Amino acid sequence: MSSGLAAPAPTLDRKVVAGFAALTLAGVLAPALPAYPLTLLTQAAIVAVLAMSLDILLGYTGLPSLGHAAYFGIAAYTVAILATERQMGLAGCLVAALLLATATAALFGVLAIRATGTYFLMITLALGMVVWGLAFRWVSMTKGDNGIAGVPRPGLGLGWSLAEPLPFFYFALLAAALAWAAMGVLVRSPFGLGLKGIRESESRMRALGYNVWLHKYLAFVISGFFAGFAGVLWAYYNGFVGPADVQLVTSVETLLMAALGGPGTLAGSALGAVAIVFLKNFVSVYTKRWLLILGAVYIGVILWAPRGVLGAFTREPRGAR
Amino acid sequence: MKMKVILVRTLAAGLNVALATTLAVPPTAHAQGGPIKIGLLAPLTGAASALGKDMLNGTELYLDGIGFQAAGRKVELIVEDTEGNTATALTKARKLVEQDKVHVLTGGLLASTGYALHPLAEAQRIPTTYPVMSSDDLTQRKPAKWVVRTGWNSSQSMHVFGEWVAKTLKYKRIVTIGLDYAFGWESVGGFQRTFEDNGGQVIQKIWTPLNTNDFAPFVTQIKREADAVFAVFFGRAALQFVKQYETAGLKGRVPLLGNGTTTDESVLPQMGDEALGIMTALHYSAALDNPANQKFAKAFEAKAGKIPSYYAETCYTNARWIVEAVKAIGGRVEDREALLAALRRVELRDFPRGPVSIDRWGNPVQNIYVRRVDKVGGKLQNSVIATFPAVSQFWKYDPDEYLKQPLYTRDHPPCPHC
Amino acid sequence: MDQTRVMRASVVEEASPGPATGYALELRSVSKAFGGLRAVDDVALAVRAGERRALIGPNGAGKTTLFNVISGELPASSGTIMLFGRDVTRAAVHRRAALGLARTFQITNVFPSLTVLENCLLAVQALSPVKLAMHRPLGRYADLHAHARTTLEAVGLGGRAGAIVQHLSHGEQRQLEIALALAGRPRVLLLDEPTAGLSPAESQLMAGLIKRLDPAMTVLMIEHDMDIALEIVQHVTVLHYGRVIADGTREAVKANPLVREIYLGA
Repeated sequence: MSSGLAAPAPTLDRKVVAGFAALTLAGVLAPALPAYPLTLLTQAAIVAVLAMSLDILLGYTGLPSLGHAAYFGIAAYTVAILATERQMGLAGCLVAALLLATATAALFGVLAIRATGTYFLMITLALGMVVWGLAFRWVSMTKGDNGIAGVPRPGLGLGWSLAEPLPFFYFALLAAALAWAAMGVLVRSPFGLGLKGIRESESRMRALGYNVWLHKYLAFVISGFFAGFAGVLWAYYNGFVGPADVQLVTSVETLLMAALGGPGTLAGSALGAVAIVFLKNFVSVYTKRWLLILGAVYIGVILWAPRGVLGAFTREPRGAR
Repeated sequence: MKMKVILVRTLAAGLNVALATTLAVPPTAHAQGGPIKIGLLAPLTGAASALGKDMLNGTELYLDGIGFQAAGRKVELIVEDTEGNTATALTKARKLVEQDKVHVLTGGLLASTGYALHPLAEAQRIPTTYPVMSSDDLTQRKPAKWVVRTGWNSSQSMHVFGEWVAKTLKYKRIVTIGLDYAFGWESVGGFQRTFEDNGGQVIQKIWTPLNTNDFAPFVTQIKREADAVFAVFFGRAALQFVKQYETAGLKGRVPLLGNGTTTDESVLPQMGDEALGIMTALHYSAALDNPANQKFAKAFEAKAGKIPSYYAETCYTNARWIVEAVKAIGGRVEDREALLAALRRVELRDFPRGPVSIDRWGNPVQNIYVRRVDKVGGKLQNSVIATFPAVSQFWKYDPDEYLKQPLYTRDHPPCPHC
Repeated sequence: MDQTRVMRASVVEEASPGPATGYALELRSVSKAFGGLRAVDDVALAVRAGERRALIGPNGAGKTTLFNVISGELPASSGTIMLFGRDVTRAAVHRRAALGLARTFQITNVFPSLTVLENCLLAVQALSPVKLAMHRPLGRYADLHAHARTTLEAVGLGGRAGAIVQHLSHGEQRQLEIALALAGRPRVLLLDEPTAGLSPAESQLMAGLIKRLDPAMTVLMIEHDMDIALEIVQHVTVLHYGRVIADGTREAVKANPLVREIYLGA
């Protein structure tokens, strides 16, 4: 009996091992990489955090949000504005950006959580458009369509500058690993199991005694928090924040990343993010029809691996055990 | 452990691709004698892909003409798709600079891309030219040492036009309608300033959101006592607005004026008689009858199967501009400071758009043409009806005084007569 | 963390005694209308603590609707619902669950893509504050696992803990349905046709399982199989077109001519 007590499904452990292996490999190989692939790896690490944060809602709770760029973008704008106009350092920017992104998610959550299915999709889309509108129209704050350029890389006071690609890559990789670990614990926690339960049957969860609204709301806010975290990294990485960062396309792309890798698996979402970043930036070198290829990949995944690439590999054999 | 194997394999495959593409760059890239590399950023997919096509065709047309050779070295053009997205443009710019090791970075469409590329050009110390991006402040309040604009800025031609409309057409009251973002604000702002400085009054300013599909609600708001309407649109919005202006019965009753993009050759062939008579101003028209433009327009039509837009001309001119600078320093493009200085010294009289020189903020001083849409040989064209030579981005104003004023925005200049 | 904390947690919202009606569950003229249709019509029902009672009636009598109204899934149109003397008419579903009310569903309502153990863990942690803990993996909560295992053993699913629920047989899923309701150690249990779709042999096993439940637990069950129902319960309430038409000991109800006519047939 005791052997079975501490027993999360063994597939999770394998994913954790694979994830650590991938992170370590990336860390070890990084110094040997030329600047541009390193830049893309950095971008992939950051976008992976965004995709994973969405997966908490999409894959674990079953809430397909189409407005996730909002929290990402609000955090990125906060960093951009504070870092360029107030010369604020990393700590201040981070705290302010996370507070604002989380507060926005807390507000939007109140409006969105009562809706389900397509209505949830529509309402998150609409709220995302509100934030895009703000970014575009509140010119005195956001510089509107011009965006905010020249966001300086943060100084850590450690003697090496994050302005160089390699140190910033390690910075982003470490931050992404931390976020991944935190989200990993979350989805495996009692709370995380509750999210999966809601995804499967809300009425049963209510009957068992769960305040389903509260559970979903907390997931929504936490997801916004991590999307904000990705936004902070993005502002520093790109040095530029504009309305395109909060537009619908960004939300849709994030949704596709999470869906591509396998909703309900954080590692899958990260894999989806890495795949799309590299697909976008490498395939496009070889052919102008790269959008067609990306579209074909999406359709292929939907047809043959609706649970995503990782989901297809981890599927339980029928009648297992 | 199956998952681990798969993940590792996937990652390894990704890295393989990464290494393969970087190693494909010949190790002699730095050494003199390798090709001179020009990196072009253009929106080849997405909503603005037609403009991107013109940009690419214009650039290629010039480089074709010189056999991709300059100062005894081969010229290599590396094109990257920006999808009309600034974040993508930044990533691709890094690729061009860091991986392809281009000697000159050029292109870009959106104003935001211009502002975002500024710090990159400065940090990487990479000579950069902007043939299209027209935001005023890129060469006014926020210039960049490493950036030379080879195109134009939004308010440059509008300063000329506002004054011309007030003095020549003698209109007194004008309603403006334009896209509700920086490009619209700067174009309207430039027009309003000189129009009102010369006795005119803007009596109403209407702003339309970028994604407007139906302009009827905006057109019906236009005050009918106006002497003329001044419009700022481009692309699909220009086509729709001009059409709906006619549908609303305003054409022929209230003359329509516009900025250059409203009747640019990128949209003009798709317009009908509703466009006849619209007067605009720009630093180019495909109908310019100087020999350089005749030759360019004919060659462009042969290559692209359509008349050249300003996007095509500016990228053609931009390519020549870069090549002239390369020639001026004997092809030693590895000397970045020298190349930058040469780019800023280029001064030629025979571009298709006419003579051009560069001011010390990095913006062209060039002819501005007042144009009217006419039908010649069954086709619409922007006939030049007035030429203003050597127009600076500051028009007749003192640059230092000018720069103390804020940038033109939605609310600046204010509208005292509205 | 220890066993006792979970045990305590599961009864943390113990009802205050309230007015001493002595009933575990009491309905006073409860109605539920859908538009013009009164699916539940002026129902009065009083079930003593520890009582076993069957709710019977022909199809469409409003039995499941009544369960949904009692559990809170549907709000009552009028009337009062008391749980251990406390008015819960307006309380949310999860509040009633916290007061010790549990239910099963006529159409199996479990978590199909999770394992049997995870299903049971969801039920075990449901009434404890642990359900909101997000700072450490569930695997660390050995007491929750132990409780879940015990519950699974009790319903005969001990050997299937690691199986994904959608791969279980229908009978096993019905067992799990009961396990989820029992895991929270409820004081009032609503069973909606626990033997639906089961073979006669499986039905007998299910009946045995219900009979072995803690005698202090109050059980209200909807059951179509009269033999099974009458084997388990002492009291029967008969519902017809949303109204209670008979209420009493099984013998009395069996003898009721009206009931014989409309329901027991023959």
